[in-house]
Parts: sequence; structure tokens; C-alpha cells
Amino acid sequence: MRFVLLMAAREVRASWRRLLFFFVCVAVGVGAIVALRSIIQSVRTGLSREARAIVGGDVAISTNRPMSDSVRAALEQAIAAAPVTARVDSISTPTMARPEAGHGVAAAKMVELRGVNAAFPLYGTLSLQNGQPYSHDLLANNGALVRPELLAQLGISVGDRIVIGGRAYSIRGIIAEEPGRRAGSFSLGSRVLVDLGDLRASGLLTYGSRADYEILLKMPPSAVDGFAKTIRAQFRDRFIGVRTYRSTEDAIGNDMARAENHLSLVGFVILVLGGIGVWSVTRVFVRQKVKSVAILKCLGATTGQVLAAYVAQVVLLGLSGSALGVLLARIGIASIPPSVGAALGVSTYGLTGSAVVQGVSVGVLVSLLFSVVPLLEVRRVKPLLLIRGASPSAAPARAWWTVGGIRDRLARVDRLQAAAAVVMAAGLVAIASWQAASLRVGVVVVVGFAAVALVLQLASAGLIHAVRPIARAKSFALRHAVLSLGRPGNQTRVILLAVGLGSFFVIGVRVLQSNLLQQFSVQLSESGADMFLIEILPDQVDRVRAFLEARKAADAGPPRLIPVLRARVTGVRPAGASTFRDVRNQGREYTITYRDHLEPNETVMSGTFWSPHSPLPENAPVIEVSIEENIHDNFRVNVGDVMQFDVLGRILPATVTSIRKVEWEDARNGGFMFVFRPGPFAHAPQTWIGILRAPQDPTARGRFQRDLVTEFPNISAIDVREILTTVQKAVRTITIAISVVGGVALGSGVLILIGAVAMTKFQRVYEAAILRTLGASTRTLGAMLGFEYATLGLLAGVVGGAGAMAFSWAVCRHVLDIPWRPQPFVALAGAALTTLLVGVVGVAASYDVLRRKPLGTLRAE
Amino acid sequence: MIELQNISRTVPSGDTMLTILHPLDLRIDAGGVVAITGPSGSGKSTLLGLIAGLDAPSSGRILIDGSDITAMSEDALARFRGSRIGFVFQFFHLLPSLTAIENVRVPLEIAGAPDPGTRADALLAEVGLSARRHHYPSQLSGGEQQRVAIARALANDPPLLLADEPTGNLDSATGHQVIQLLIDVNRRRRTTVVLVTHDAELAALADTTIALRDGRIVAAGARGAAAS
Repeated sequence: MRFVLLMAAREVRASWRRLLFFFVCVAVGVGAIVALRSIIQSVRTGLSREARAIVGGDVAISTNRPMSDSVRAALEQAIAAAPVTARVDSISTPTMARPEAGHGVAAAKMVELRGVNAAFPLYGTLSLQNGQPYSHDLLANNGALVRPELLAQLGISVGDRIVIGGRAYSIRGIIAEEPGRRAGSFSLGSRVLVDLGDLRASGLLTYGSRADYEILLKMPPSAVDGFAKTIRAQFRDRFIGVRTYRSTEDAIGNDMARAENHLSLVGFVILVLGGIGVWSVTRVFVRQKVKSVAILKCLGATTGQVLAAYVAQVVLLGLSGSALGVLLARIGIASIPPSVGAALGVSTYGLTGSAVVQGVSVGVLVSLLFSVVPLLEVRRVKPLLLIRGASPSAAPARAWWTVGGIRDRLARVDRLQAAAAVVMAAGLVAIASWQAASLRVGVVVVVGFAAVALVLQLASAGLIHAVRPIARAKSFALRHAVLSLGRPGNQTRVILLAVGLGSFFVIGVRVLQSNLLQQFSVQLSESGADMFLIEILPDQVDRVRAFLEARKAADAGPPRLIPVLRARVTGVRPAGASTFRDVRNQGREYTITYRDHLEPNETVMSGTFWSPHSPLPENAPVIEVSIEENIHDNFRVNVGDVMQFDVLGRILPATVTSIRKVEWEDARNGGFMFVFRPGPFAHAPQTWIGILRAPQDPTARGRFQRDLVTEFPNISAIDVREILTTVQKAVRTITIAISVVGGVALGSGVLILIGAVAMTKFQRVYEAAILRTLGASTRTLGAMLGFEYATLGLLAGVVGGAGAMAFSWAVCRHVLDIPWRPQPFVALAGAALTTLLVGVVGVAASYDVLRRKPLGTLRAE
Repeated sequence: MIELQNISRTVPSGDTMLTILHPLDLRIDAGGVVAITGPSGSGKSTLLGLIAGLDAPSSGRILIDGSDITAMSEDALARFRGSRIGFVFQFFHLLPSLTAIENVRVPLEIAGAPDPGTRADALLAEVGLSARRHHYPSQLSGGEQQRVAIARALANDPPLLLADEPTGNLDSATGHQVIQLLIDVNRRRRTTVVLVTHDAELAALADTTIALRDGRIVAAGARGAAAS
């Protein structure tokens, strides 16, 4: 044991320069895992700590529709029976705000108006800018607190008044941070906080308008779960939801755990790239150590002892590489600007113990798995070579595609090494599954890797065959470059594998990223609708239509106004059956409409759509519905079946008369899962939405919005242009993150390349010396190397690029559900850059091969 | 005592088999200095490799102090060498990544000997290299390297020391010192020394000489050796 440890330590001391690359490969991957996990764990801890503030209380009861008197009474009774110590009532609704006439700019902006009572907030603090303390008195007598961006957008300041729903509020302060509102979370507009009484009196909350009603309660922790359970059971069918700080903690925990596991897979992927580097270093290292192994065996060391010494060395390197990785992660995390942390909702983050433990164990395991197969070579070293030199291994004479050739090759397979390779594959699946916390994901990742690796292997075999004719070329350098690719024991395959996988990963990420960005810009640039109006009341429809006709953009078609209602599916009765069966996900609300025609983006898949101008009578006993094909799949509903709907409390059976396909990518015409035959809903409580193209000039657009809001205070305008800009910003931030991860992968790919080249040097030095002696110039030697590496780079780039295209296609079509654009330029540029990079790095890393004097080299051999 | 019974060695060469050693019997008594001589390709080093258990014979048995080394597994052979046989090479074969003292310590550590440091120090002193103990092989001259190799070969105090052309890579003055060292070892420790050499001067110092040609023993001289 002492011998094993001492030998390992001495070898590391002597060979650390040669093994530096081993070290770096492990460090980069471990660094990525530790940093990503630590950051997310910090965010998670921070958010869980704030669970009460996020919920707003110990228990939050919420609904998005006004409660009937009987429901309200029952709910109040239940609350009265619970040990409630404090209570906040809150209502929030999206609506429009504009400056008072004569102040600020002529524009109107969508805001999220929230009314609260005096007890707000139960947990956390509402902080105002300039250190102004919050008290409910600020909201009294039509006071309002707003976000700084609204002031900027409307060109007003504290003391001015804004008009919302026809009522003027004076601005008394600027909200810096609202408890429970996560920065970066999606919202339609910026927050405006007013008194609950003022909001109720504003007339904005008409029947069917979109508003969230919340009751936040404070109660002893022991009462929370029981109370939440009671409320849930009692009001399940009343659209009332209950959240507690505990369930929120769990939900945040689950979300974050998923994000953590998926992100650390990225680290694992980098580590596997590093593992290939470890493999190549170990392979060459063992080859260089053959003589030392023979000496040790000659001095009485058993194979087991020698193997143990080298395995100990790998563990030592894996451990120290992992330690360096932890250090890198520490530096990386420290260099994140505080603003990023604030955006994620955490004030402090650092390395977490569990991330470090996971990173280091994965680092050591991967080092061991990737080095054990090449290390087993030491078993075959015979001490005899010290007096007789290495005996040449007989190359199989028969070609590999013949039966005999395959048999020869199978006979030469080392069973123990083959078994070790199987263990290694199983180990990688285990680590990947552990990191992703899912066996399925682990298997998919490793199989994906193996598939790309196999393609690269086949490609490299193909390449060596394909370029063979060039070996008859006139150019000496070209001829020798080609011969080098097929040289026994060369690094062609390792370089192809490492660089090919690296370029696959990087090009794949870039292609995906351009696809995402283009998807958003396409939606922006098309001359279609770019503004939605919501909450139009039925009696306003004609006036709104007239307003829009008069004010619409010159190049726009007629504005479209569509009635909408909200409904839930409560059951399905197959044709011929007598009872309804329950359906999954009963709570999901759908927005439904009725009309007598198909839109241009719709086609009927089966059944028949009703003919125009043929409404059903208002009290028809059986109504008709046309469903979208996803509904047909999810609910297993066919033409002729009856679906039962709950539309604002009315239970309505409807016969399915057709199944439609909707081109969702062309969503300017709107898309509805359920379209009903006109008639029965003509006088049901409903609102209308408007789809239009607003004036493009920013001033005209602002004025258009303000005039609309002045005339129809209850109507909200959603500016798609603004939202898409926000989304684009978010996408750009994600893009940076993805590019950083991709860059790290590319960086490790390059490192592996340099290492692989450096490893082949000892072989090249000798060859170069002989060629030199025979009269080859530095230029010839350089050209030889350049040709060889450029060919390798070209192949790795082409295979990586093609793989990246396939990968991006699969992700676009099957994961993101967006149309795939091939981005040939990105792939071509990627392949070209890979070629250039490999050529340059290859020649540069071999610089001293070109420079060295031949005699010294020949003597040393 | 070393006993070779009907030992032969053939190796494949292309499509045919090449005989390096024809069947031979040989007995080497303990305590002497035996020189194996002969021209290049006569099978000297092969014979030495067989005695060290570095190679397996194509036929026959090799007994060292009664133990049949041809029946041992690779690992058993390694342990046997560690405790019973010291080996000195023409090209020294020190571990390049270890210092002189560490090279001497290695066989002691492999065998799990107590206090390898003190013992290695004593051995280096015995070959006159105490001052160079922390030097790496690349910092030592050829003669110094060979003396370190001899110290290393003696680490576990083996009864048998095998040397393959120990002076073949040294100038004559240095070679002389190394020869003297080997003779001293034999005299002081009663270690059996078997060496392969081209060097007539070295062969002349041996108690016994065995001459090989084309894989056959052509001459064997003096006391302690019997060959056929």
C-alpha cells in the first residue's frame, strides 16, 4: 500500500506538466457543475426563505371571478372559524393608465392595478424609493404608488395624477420593491397600487372582466394545512384556489431542483468532453510509461501493484483537478455582478457544500471511468522488453469487413478491457442519471453521446479510406499528411471525437439560438396585427368598431372583434353512451368563442362545419361545437360525441360536429380550441376582444392608445410589439447564458485538441528528426502538419455541423414546437472555423517539433 | 543453485519459427561469478532473461534453489524476483521520474520492507553515491547511473544478481569501476553473479565462463560449471 501511494505521488510530481491537460479537463467540467448547482441552490434557498412573502401570507385564497353571495358567505364563515390573526383583501386587474389631460405625454400604458386594504402587507415590506416609508395612508383619498418605469413612459412625476378607468389618482410615491413580486416574472404591465375601496368604487370590475381576487391570511403554522385542506374540499368546484407558504416552498423547490439537475447536465456534458481528453492523455501516458512499468515488474512489483499505483495517480489527479474546478467555480461565482443576483431574487450566493461534494465526486468518477480502460494496458507489459525491446504486434492481415477479419479482430479484443468498457458505459449512465435525477434523461444523454461518437468513429474510418488516393499526390507534404492520418497508434480518432463532439455542441447551440431569435423577429416584422384589445363590453362593440375603422393604420385590414367566454370541460359522453365520463384536468379554463365561418388558418379534419348565417335558436336543447385536433387527441373525443361544459356556472352539453386543425404559427387570426355554433350565447355574459394593427409611428400609437382609453375607460390594449420587445430582451439574456455554456464547451474542445496534439509530439519529434536528416525543410514539415490537421478539422466540423443541424431540428420540432430554419450559414461557418482552429492549433502546438535539432532527438532515441 | 533442464526458446519470425536457444542443460553453483559470452545473436541475453523469469522457455524447466520458476504465474514470478533476484541492465533502466535514492527504495517498498530509507542510504553509500542521492537519473553520468542500478539490484539482498552487458554502455575506465563493484559484491555478500558480456576483460575476472554461439553452448570453463 505504501509503495502504491508513494509511487503515485512521485509520478504525479514528475509528470504533472504532461498531465496538466488531464487536470484541466476535469477542472473545467467540475467547475461548471459546481458553479451552476451552487447558483441555483442559492437562489432556491433565498426564494424558499421568502415563501411567505411570495404567497403574501400563510394562506392565500384566490379566484379570478367575482364570488356569488352564497359562496362569499360560506367562505367568510369558514375563515371566521379558523384562528386567523390578520387578513388582507386584495384585487388586481390589468387595465390602462394615462396621464391627466395636459400633463406628460399623449399616451396610455397597460398597468396591473392592485387594490389592497390597510393590513397589507402581512409579510415582507413594500419598499419605496428615496427611503420613504410605506403606510396605507399614502393610498387614502385616491392616492397611488407606481413603478418608476411608468413615470418614465408617461412623462410624469410624483405629485402628478394618472387616470385609470375614468378616475384620477395622485401619485404619492415610487415602488422600489413589492413583497412577493419576483423581478423578471412576466406581467402585462407595471404595478399601480391603490386602496381597495377606491378600486371597488371605480367601476372597472364589471361582470366578466379579468381580475384576481385574493384573501391573504395570517394564522398559526399548525392550523395552515388543515385550513387549506378544508377550503380546497369545500370550494373545489367554485374556481377558488388555495395556496399556502408550505406548498409554495415545495413548488419553488421542485422547479429549482429540476432546473438545477438539467443545468448540471451541461456541466456533465463538458466533463464527458474532458473525459475524452482524460482517455487520450492516459492512453499516451501509459504508452510512454511502458518502460517504467517493465522496470517495476522486473523489480518484483505485481501487475496489481503497478495498476494500483496508476489508479491511485488518476484519483489524485481527479481530486486535484476537481479542487481546481471548485476554485474556478468560486472565482466564477464571485465575478457575477450583484445586479444579476438581484434579478434572480437573491442577495447572496456562494459555493454550497452539496454542490462541491457532487462536483468533486463526479470529477473523480469520470476521471476513473475514462482512464481505467487505457490503464489496463499495463497488464500486457512484459519485463522482457528491457533486454529485448518491444515485440511488434502482428497486425491482422485480413480486411476488417471479411468474416475472417472480424474474427481476427474479435480474438484480439482484451476481455477485461471490454468488460471495463461496459462498466464504464454503465457508470456514465449512472452518473448522468444521478445528475439529471432521472434514469430516462441519463440514458438519453449517454446514448446520444454514444451515437455521435459512433458516427464520428465511422466517419474517421471513412475519411482514412477516402483520402487514401491523395497519398499518390505530387506534393510531398500532402502525401505525408495523408499517410499520417492512417498511421498506426495515431490520434486521428481521439481528435475527431473530441473536436467533433465539441463543434456539435457549440454549432447546435448557435443554430438553436438563431432559430429562437428569428422566431420572435418574424412575429414582429410581419405586417399583421400588433395590438389586442380586451374587456370590450357587448354594448360597446359597435362604437369600438367605428373608432377603430376611423383610426387604424393606413395599411391595415378591417379590425376584427371576437366575442369570448370562459368555460371548463366537465365530462365527455361518447356517441351512443348514456353517461358522461370524467375528464382529466377539469380545472383548466378555456377561452371559447362562437362564429359561423372558418378562419383562414383553420381547416376541417373531419365532420362538417356549420353553414354561415344559420344560428341555432337561443334556447336550443343541444348546441354544437367544433374542436381543435389537440382536444380530439387529449380527451379522446370524436365527431358525434357529446362534451359537457361549465360556462360561467351554466352546465351545457354540446355535440361535437367537426374537428379543426389550426395553424398556430399564423396566430394573427386567433386560435380557439372550442368554437361554438352561434345562437345560444348571443345574450350570455361575455366580453369581446379586438385584433388590429395600430399606427406604427410611436407618437401616433401613444395617442391612439390614450384616445381609446379616454373614450372606453374599461378597455385594455395589449401592445404585442412591447411584449415581444420584452421577450426578446429575455431571450437575449438566455442567449448570453447559452453562449457562455457553449463557449466553455468549445474551450474544453480546444484544450482537448491541444492536449491530443501535444501527446502525439513524442512520436512526431522522432519522425521530424529523420525527415530533417533526409533533407525536409521546416516549411515542408509545417505544411505536412497543416494539411493533416486541417483535414481532421474539416471532417470534425462537417460531422459536428451535420449533427448540430439534426439536433436543432429535433429540438425545434419536438421540444420548442417552433418551425425549424436550417441556418446553413451558421453550420458552414462553424465547420470552417473548426477547420481553421484545428489547423492552426495543430501546427502551433507542434512548433517545437519543427524547431528542434535532429541530432539530439535521434541520440535520445 | 541454478539448474536449467532441457531449456529451449523459439520465436515466430514471419511465417517460420526461429530457434534462439537449442535445448540445453546447465547448472550454476551458488556463490560464484559466471560470465556468459558470445557474439551478437548467440542467445546470451535470452538465456539471462530466462533465468530471471522475464521470459518463458519453449521447453524445459528452470530451478532456482529448488523452486521451479517455469511453473510460476506472472505475479508469483514478480514476487520471486523481488526477493531472490537482482537485475542490472546495459541501459541502466532507472525510473527517470525518481531520484537516485527513490530508485533504490522502490524494490524495498514493493516488498514491504521495514525502514526502506535507511537501507537505501546504506546501499548508496556502499556504491559511493551518498552525495548524489537526490539527483535524477538525467543528472547522473552513465557510470553513476549503473552504480545506482547495482545498489537497486541489491536492495532486498538477493542471493542471485543477473547483469546484462553491465559495461556495454560505459567507457572503459567507468566500466572498470563497475566490474570491480560487481566482484566486491560477490566477495562480500557471497551473492551469485551471472553476467552477460562482450568484454573479454570482464569475462576473464569470472570464476566460470560459458560461451554461446548460434544458440548452443560451445565452451564452458573452470570450476563450478557443468554444461552439455
